Amino acid sequence: MSAVIEPRFGAPRWRAFAIAISGPLIVVSLWWALASSGRFAEQIIVPPREIWAALVELLDSGELWLHLQGSFGRLASGFALGSAAGLAAGILMAASRHIEAACAPIFNAVRQVPAIAFIPMLILIFGIGETFKILIVAKAAFFAIALATFEGVRNISFRELEVAQLFKLGPIACVRHVIVPAALPDLLTGIRLGLGRAWGVLVAAELFAADIGIGQMMEAGRQMFRLDVVFLGVIVTGLVGYVFDHGLQRLQAVLTPWRAELQR
Amino acid sequence: MKAPLTRAARIRSGVIAVVTLLVAYEAMARTSDAFSYAFVPLEQLLGALVEISRSGELLDNIAASLKVVLQGVAFGGGAGLLIGAAMAYSKPIAAFVNPLFNAWRPIPTLGLIPLIGLWFGNGDTAKLVLVCLAAAEPMILNTYEGLRGTDQRYIEGGRALTFSRSQLFWFVQLPAAMPSIFTGVQHALGFAWIATIGAELLFTVGPGLGGVMERAQIATRMDIVIVSVAAIGVVGLAINTTVTRVSAHLLRWRDSQ
Repeated sequence: MSAVIEPRFGAPRWRAFAIAISGPLIVVSLWWALASSGRFAEQIIVPPREIWAALVELLDSGELWLHLQGSFGRLASGFALGSAAGLAAGILMAASRHIEAACAPIFNAVRQVPAIAFIPMLILIFGIGETFKILIVAKAAFFAIALATFEGVRNISFRELEVAQLFKLGPIACVRHVIVPAALPDLLTGIRLGLGRAWGVLVAAELFAADIGIGQMMEAGRQMFRLDVVFLGVIVTGLVGYVFDHGLQRLQAVLTPWRAELQR
Repeated sequence: MKAPLTRAARIRSGVIAVVTLLVAYEAMARTSDAFSYAFVPLEQLLGALVEISRSGELLDNIAASLKVVLQGVAFGGGAGLLIGAAMAYSKPIAAFVNPLFNAWRPIPTLGLIPLIGLWFGNGDTAKLVLVCLAAAEPMILNTYEGLRGTDQRYIEGGRALTFSRSQLFWFVQLPAAMPSIFTGVQHALGFAWIATIGAELLFTVGPGLGGVMERAQIATRMDIVIVSVAAIGVVGLAINTTVTRVSAHLLRWRDSQ
């Protein structure tokens, strides 16, 4: 499951470290050499120090924070909306065979369509304001969370519930000690998946139309041929994606340690 | 625990839900002109479908989009296969590629569009580059993990037969990794499909389903937009089903799973 690839080495650690660090070093020095050779225009290859300068410039003016704030605000409202709906749908579908059977065709049909394909339709209905971006994020979150909740609640075995009955657990204790621990690993995986997708599709939606946001920053940079700003935007979106993914991995390790051990 | 519903009961519930939804939709469409803008009446949707099917617009553009997907999976996915295999074959290569791969992975693919636009313009090259990148990532990951995850007992069996390193690779590791590689192909096609639609929407309007949708949006033809969204879902499903069928057929020698 874990996507991070960590090879084990027979060789001494320093050698492994040297090889690992050589890749990024070669890329950066090649980049630096090409940029300073003067053969390419600054719109094609921008020297690393220009990106640093752009970072300092955007930090000093406070612009970068404004863009990040704009994006995170949309992400938060869209994700809250989508995951609340997804949680409810997932629980309902897991609880009742009839609801599950009735929803399945529509649920699976809409799930087939990538979130980005809904953008033109939502722009036609809601215009290019905030609504379409929030709804796109909600769509991406909804299906990841609904599926994960469904799986998580569904997989609670009859035996576990029987044991709970045997111990005469009340309904609250049953939820607390049986249902939540059983469904939590799937739910956390769903949140991780949904947050990653939501972030990607939000950046894309901001490329379409936005007054502010990290995607808008990149789109404006592209139109003004500011490669440094565009490159900085790519690095920032990557960092945000990384922080989300690893933050949730950590959370998974803390909240569901039994699962983390099983995966080893 | 209650027994699962019979197939007939499931179908009945599904049909009732779909019909209810369509009736509610049509009722909304007929409420007022303002509503029929967003909820295009079903008859008009059917008309739009017939219109772009008859003119050949629908099939031509599906073909154009699929061509980009297949090219992207062939080039990007092929490169990903080689990179993943090289990483599994040699530990130094894996150690060299890993940091670069892990730095690239968290970047949302569609977020690369402005950068690719600056480097490769707004045309077909830029689209293909984006789709190649989308297809490469899952192929690298699944090829590497599949080859590396070969059951140790098979490898020891191969060693006992005095297989050379390359024999071990071709006759033991590669067959054992095939299911994982097929998963990679499936993901690569899925990611490439999303990237293709995104590229068609965000780069210069050209052929392809994304282009049809973008032109319809500009012309405020909501009916054609909805038909395109449905077509995108159907084509995505068709791609997925095809890969699942093909891989089930090709991997039928495996223990049933």
